[in-house]
Amino acid sequence: MSPVCCLSYLLFLSALWAPLSTIAADEEKFDAVHHTADGYYLDFQPIGKVELPRIFILRGASGYRLDLYISTKSAFRSGTMAALYVEKKDTTLTISQDSLQALIAHGKHLDAKPIPVEEGATIVLDLSITRHLIFSLLASGILLAVFVQLANRYKRGIGRTSAPSGLVQNLFETLVIFVRDDIAVPNLGKDHYQRFLPYLLTAFFFILTCNLLGLVPFGATATSNLNITAVLAMFTFVLTQINGSKDHWRHVFWPPNMPVPVKFLLIPTEIMGLFTKPITLAIRLFANLTAGHLVILSLIGMIFTFTDNFGEAVGSSVVPVSLAFTLFVMCLEVLIAFIQAYIFTILSALFIGMAIAEHSHSEAH
Amino acid sequence: MDPQAFAYIGAGIGAGLVAIGTGLGIGRLAGPAMEGTARQPEATNDIRTTMIIAAALIEGVALFGLIISLLCLVIQ
Repeated sequence: MSPVCCLSYLLFLSALWAPLSTIAADEEKFDAVHHTADGYYLDFQPIGKVELPRIFILRGASGYRLDLYISTKSAFRSGTMAALYVEKKDTTLTISQDSLQALIAHGKHLDAKPIPVEEGATIVLDLSITRHLIFSLLASGILLAVFVQLANRYKRGIGRTSAPSGLVQNLFETLVIFVRDDIAVPNLGKDHYQRFLPYLLTAFFFILTCNLLGLVPFGATATSNLNITAVLAMFTFVLTQINGSKDHWRHVFWPPNMPVPVKFLLIPTEIMGLFTKPITLAIRLFANLTAGHLVILSLIGMIFTFTDNFGEAVGSSVVPVSLAFTLFVMCLEVLIAFIQAYIFTILSALFIGMAIAEHSHSEAH
Repeated sequence: MDPQAFAYIGAGIGAGLVAIGTGLGIGRLAGPAMEGTARQPEATNDIRTTMIIAAALIEGVALFGLIISLLCLVIQ
């Protein structure tokens, strides 16, 4: 190991060592699952938290109404919302307006569920802005900024009539050509790939950007939210079904070239298969990204677990091991960010390709 | 015994079994894929693509198990 490496490693260790005792002294618990989950704030710890706007559609005595609050804090302070707070596993407290101040002072109001104070009023729809929404919009913004500019360059002829120039164009052209030649063309065929290439490229780059944003400090992984991955998988599902060829539907509802009893066994299986494909797409992406972050946090948490159970000496000797593993998993995460974007895109291409394929009728199955 | 303890034991054993299954699955997949690449280096790209797809499918099942284990811990 080079001296510079050693020095930076030691600096990193000492930086980590300093807050160790302060964190242990603090009563606040750090929950890995809670950290990975969605929230109504942007987490800039230790600097602070930025609360995000809350939007509710309520149904009260006077009909439907829209409530907008700039933050969770202001929703509770406005006097129209009481809080439902889960203190322990089994005890749920309904907190009235009077004791809300204490909740806000302890910073626990972000975990509380708002309920309307007004008699008979219920929240019909919670359209609150969440962390993952912000980061998915940020990813879309980055994609727009990069690709609109790139598209204009290609329109002007840079990259078509001349060689691509500049870091950004060269970088993204490699990836675009990779998606086209290694994902779209082999799975969709030379005749059809151009119709689906825009979707595949969008899915690939959106997922990749979301995944990588999760590795940035203070970032959150939008793709570790099942809602976002479900929407992405839904796009693939709809594209697969509306572009399904006659043969695709025949294979689902009357599989050819087999005895009739077997057909009745296969039809339910095929219909189930239509739905399990997008469901697995959504859950795979979600679970991979969630699991990666949980592993990183668990490895960091090992330091505190050992300190709590065996004292500071053992705890501090676990630090290098834990950090080495964390670094390894971090590198793995970068790999996974790319692989999962690739897997989602290639499986989408595969499913669409299977649905649009036209068989000749003499073909044996 | 506390019922919550059973949930924790179940989650732990579940995650372990999932790891065994995935290990066997991906091992059986990657070994022959490497042999194939060694025998036919010109088919490396095709083998890699199909291997990654199959590995992703296996991993998907493993992660279902992991998520269920997590749910055992989180939801009581």
